[in-house]
Amino acid sequence: MADVVLTDLRKSFGGLEVIKGVDLHIESGEFCVFVGPSGCGKSTLLRMISGLEDVSSGRIEIGGKDVTRAEPKDRGIAMVFQSYALYPHLTVRENIGFGLSLARRPKAEIKEKVDAVARTLQLEDYLDRKPKALSGGQRQRVAIGRSIVRDPSVFLFDEPLSNLDAALRAQMRIELTDLHAKLGTTMIYVTHDQVEAMTMADKIVVLNGGRIEQVGAPMELYDRPATPFVAGFIGSPKMNLLEGEAARKMGAREVYGIRPEHLVLSEGDGRWAGTVRHVERLGADTIVHLESREVGPLLARVEGHREFRLGQEVTASPAEGRAVLF
Amino acid sequence: MKTRQIVIGLISMAVFFVIFVIPFILVLLTASKTPAEAASVDFTLPERWVFWENLVETVQTRDYQLLLAYWNSSVITVGAIVGLVIFGAMVGYVLQRRDTKLTRGLFFMVLAGLMIPPAVVPTIWLLQGINLFKTLHGMVLIQIAYGLGFTVLLYRSFIATIPRDLDEAAIIDGGTPLQIFFRVILPLLKPVTVTIIVVQAIGIFNDFTHPLYYLPGAENVTVQLTLYNFQSQFVSQINLLFMNILLITIPPLLVFIFFNRQIVAGMTSGAVKG
Ligand SMILES: Nc1ncnc2c1ncn2[C@@H]1O[C@H](COP(=O)(O)OP(=O)(O)OP(=O)(O)O)[C@@H](O)[C@H]1O
Ligand SMILES: [Mg+2]
Repeated sequence: MADVVLTDLRKSFGGLEVIKGVDLHIESGEFCVFVGPSGCGKSTLLRMISGLEDVSSGRIEIGGKDVTRAEPKDRGIAMVFQSYALYPHLTVRENIGFGLSLARRPKAEIKEKVDAVARTLQLEDYLDRKPKALSGGQRQRVAIGRSIVRDPSVFLFDEPLSNLDAALRAQMRIELTDLHAKLGTTMIYVTHDQVEAMTMADKIVVLNGGRIEQVGAPMELYDRPATPFVAGFIGSPKMNLLEGEAARKMGAREVYGIRPEHLVLSEGDGRWAGTVRHVERLGADTIVHLESREVGPLLARVEGHREFRLGQEVTASPAEGRAVLF
Repeated sequence: MKTRQIVIGLISMAVFFVIFVIPFILVLLTASKTPAEAASVDFTLPERWVFWENLVETVQTRDYQLLLAYWNSSVITVGAIVGLVIFGAMVGYVLQRRDTKLTRGLFFMVLAGLMIPPAVVPTIWLLQGINLFKTLHGMVLIQIAYGLGFTVLLYRSFIATIPRDLDEAAIIDGGTPLQIFFRVILPLLKPVTVTIIVVQAIGIFNDFTHPLYYLPGAENVTVQLTLYNFQSQFVSQINLLFMNILLITIPPLLVFIFFNRQIVAGMTSGAVKG
């Protein structure tokens, strides 16, 4: 159990600054998700915490200890890689016990710990297989097992689910959340998928261009995004963001944001008139794509069974008190 | 289509037979002949088969020199191969994983080692200076030096196909650089290592010129140099010469037969990322 404190952390590759001053406090036992678009520096930031990438300036503390210059193995961390990074020539048992065997622990102790981890992750039947002979989900579990056996005070995950298919990803999200509940260890999880961030996080850190845009609980970010970037990034389908004249008319200084589920569509009078361009049926919900003459494209989320025709003229109005102004 | 395949197959078998099998049969036949019969080196069956007598005589020549030669060649080959594999893989690993000005310069020197022809006389002079001339371990070092360029090149390109994530996972697992090399990287290099062992072992075992230059002296004789025993200006014992050829061909042949499968795997496995 340990908290992680980052102070004015910076990283440059050659002349290019990739992490531009990050201050962050991750509480002990928290599930913290770094989310942001591709290339924003999530992996770099995680690798700096792990010690695989050195720090250009700033400070990293884990559990109250300054580890800015410490070796990865002395930081009390474990990491799960996007590619799983299982050792192909070793069996599952040897993969999980590799760190212990490097540290020259007694054979009996290694066996005991590996067996315990395998029980937790339901890997008992695969212990003598090579990674090649495992499915994606099983490999993922082995990679997680390898990190659990180190008994770290902080887990680091770099997009661990991105190689899995949608169904398995949903299942692994739940397994990881369960694991976090069971172990109670601090976890830092990198993803570019805001659904993963919303579903798993205690705390979401939205990164953009090497800076933190906003830190907060999932619903906090959803309801009160601090910047238009966060507003557009969190939530699916995306929030409608109006700029310029249209935004000022609605009382915003620069940007007016309204979530699709807060747009009310009707045949009669309303705030914006538009034409139905496209209808996406998701079952419970239907997403309606409108083309409004005044403000351009708008998304609305309505109840699943409402009927719309392409080309139909409708009006959209924002629900009372639901808009976000910037 | 079917007949065409058969025809092509037959033609290639015939070519293979002419190039590889016929010379071997010639060696075998001549090695079984009496000296008089063998003198005319031709493709006939021996009138009297003296295979065993020839074999015994060849082995016994010059106080069992052939056995000493086997020993010397094996020591040189094993020593040089061990050195080549360990140093070649280590150097290739560092050159591939660290991309700095220094490693790029070093890699260029590795390539230069492949391109620039070795200079014999200065090498001998150097060996004499450090008291390694006419010694087996000196010869081992020479063979390592000659083979290292190619070995490093092969290892470096193969290591490029091993994801760096594996190194990093091992770092997180607490591995020291040497542990990571010997327990993660080297085992994954097995296919290339087999290729290198076979190619280099056969080359070094069969080497004629380098032992001739750098390893003079009767007690230092290597297998290829034993061929001189049966060939001189005045008498040539062709039958024994061919028996000698036969005997020193056997070890490389065994290596080839034994590793055949893995060699092909090693040569192609770097090509496609598995
Ligand atoms: N070793 C490196 N040398 C130079 N530039 C690098 C290096 N590693 C990363 N970068 C740059 O740093 C920036 C951030 O990279 P990073 O891998 O952290 O992005 P990311 O947020 O993880 O993106 P993704 O979601 O695609 O994984 C990118 O612009 C990348 O090109
Ligand atoms: Mg990344």
